[in-house]
Amino acid sequence: MDIIKEAIAGTLESSDVLVKVLPSQDGSLTLHVQSEVIKQFGKQIRASVMQTLDALSVQAATVVVSDKGALDCIIRARVQAAVLRAAGAQEIDWSVL
Amino acid sequence: MTDAPPGIDLNADIKLDFQTINLQEVPEAKEEIRDLLQENGLDLDEQVDIFVVCREHGRLVGCAGLDRDVIKDVAVDPSLRGTAVSLRLGSRVLALAADRGHADLFLYCRPEHVDWFRGWAFHPLVEVPGVMTLLENNPLNLPKYVERLSRERRPGKRIGAIVMNANPFTLGHRFLAEKAAENCDWLHLFVVREDAAQFPYADRFRLITEGLAGIANLTIHHGSKYIISRATFPGYFLKDRSMIEHSFSAIDLLMFREHIAPALGINCRYVGTEPFDATTNSYNTSMKHWLWDVASASPPIQTVVVERLIIDGLPVSASTVRALLAGENFAEIARLVPATTLEYLEKSFGPAREPASR
Repeated sequence: MDIIKEAIAGTLESSDVLVKVLPSQDGSLTLHVQSEVIKQFGKQIRASVMQTLDALSVQAATVVVSDKGALDCIIRARVQAAVLRAAGAQEIDWSVL
Repeated sequence: MTDAPPGIDLNADIKLDFQTINLQEVPEAKEEIRDLLQENGLDLDEQVDIFVVCREHGRLVGCAGLDRDVIKDVAVDPSLRGTAVSLRLGSRVLALAADRGHADLFLYCRPEHVDWFRGWAFHPLVEVPGVMTLLENNPLNLPKYVERLSRERRPGKRIGAIVMNANPFTLGHRFLAEKAAENCDWLHLFVVREDAAQFPYADRFRLITEGLAGIANLTIHHGSKYIISRATFPGYFLKDRSMIEHSFSAIDLLMFREHIAPALGINCRYVGTEPFDATTNSYNTSMKHWLWDVASASPPIQTVVVERLIIDGLPVSASTVRALLAGENFAEIARLVPATTLEYLEKSFGPAREPASR
């Protein structure tokens, strides 16, 4: 998927995560994670985000994740939503999700 | 659209209504918002049109203003601070801004509230002690910008800087740049990025580049949202010049001193004397204060004020050129601008040419 505009998904509330997806400036895939539990779960959060981006074929984007203690399924769902919005997706291929 | 939070709604017992208001359309909400802000030690910024408000049984208990990509005028009633109301309010403002095309945002708050806004995923960039703090919500942006700038470092003892709008580029601008370049080992010139001027950014940049051709120790940089932008120095762009006394240049100047200048080793900044525009004049005065006088972890930067170029007894100024342009007085304009600017003005604003086939 091509990221064509800025988009977010999620909220700032406890147990949620705010995911921001922006078009890449230099063609790279850059991920920045902020979390209250970065030391305990930083690696898992990164892995979940990167796997979801990969499943959606996102190769170039800047992704900023602000986690407030969200479960893994929530993180994946928010990343999906942000990517679909940032890609301006009109038709969604549910099989890849 | 606003996303629903996951799982159980812990705020279900607090009955709150959220609403997005455009003050142009609902002016009666203005006084309510102003009162809530004043209770929280803030003045209503007259430039902000859009507010997300929160009401408890009809009473206004929270508000957050949005001006394109800048959040300001945020207040929450003391009775509700420490609850998740602020996070719900914040989530709605972020969603609103994203719907309007802005996900990377700036935010202004009082320094003592910075920790509150870390909860909104913002982090501080610049603080005017005791007065206000500028924050942004993408931790990659400023470091990336500074890193890009630092690749343009040049060696030398005296590294100068000019920030120029050039609306349009005149012989006065060239004079300032020439004097600065003579006085420095290297000169870094930044072009104000905002397209709020009469002449679009792309044209202003091109005229500056053409007009300064031949100065060897010069780098012309594209402007950014971190240098004289609507985010760092909104007062610069106010249409209402009577608001001048309230325009606040400290954030812009401290950003320059603490982040921009160190990236390039800049230790002096050049400005022309400003006889016409009061905002620019007060900005130049503030410059000495924030770049030199105040204590800071960042090195002081010398402000060098260069007397304006005088032609036919008058200081050359872009505002004069714009006034002459309104009167289509190209003969007078020709005395004040280089050939490259004159050609551009005649082509873009001159009388229509005769059709070739006659």
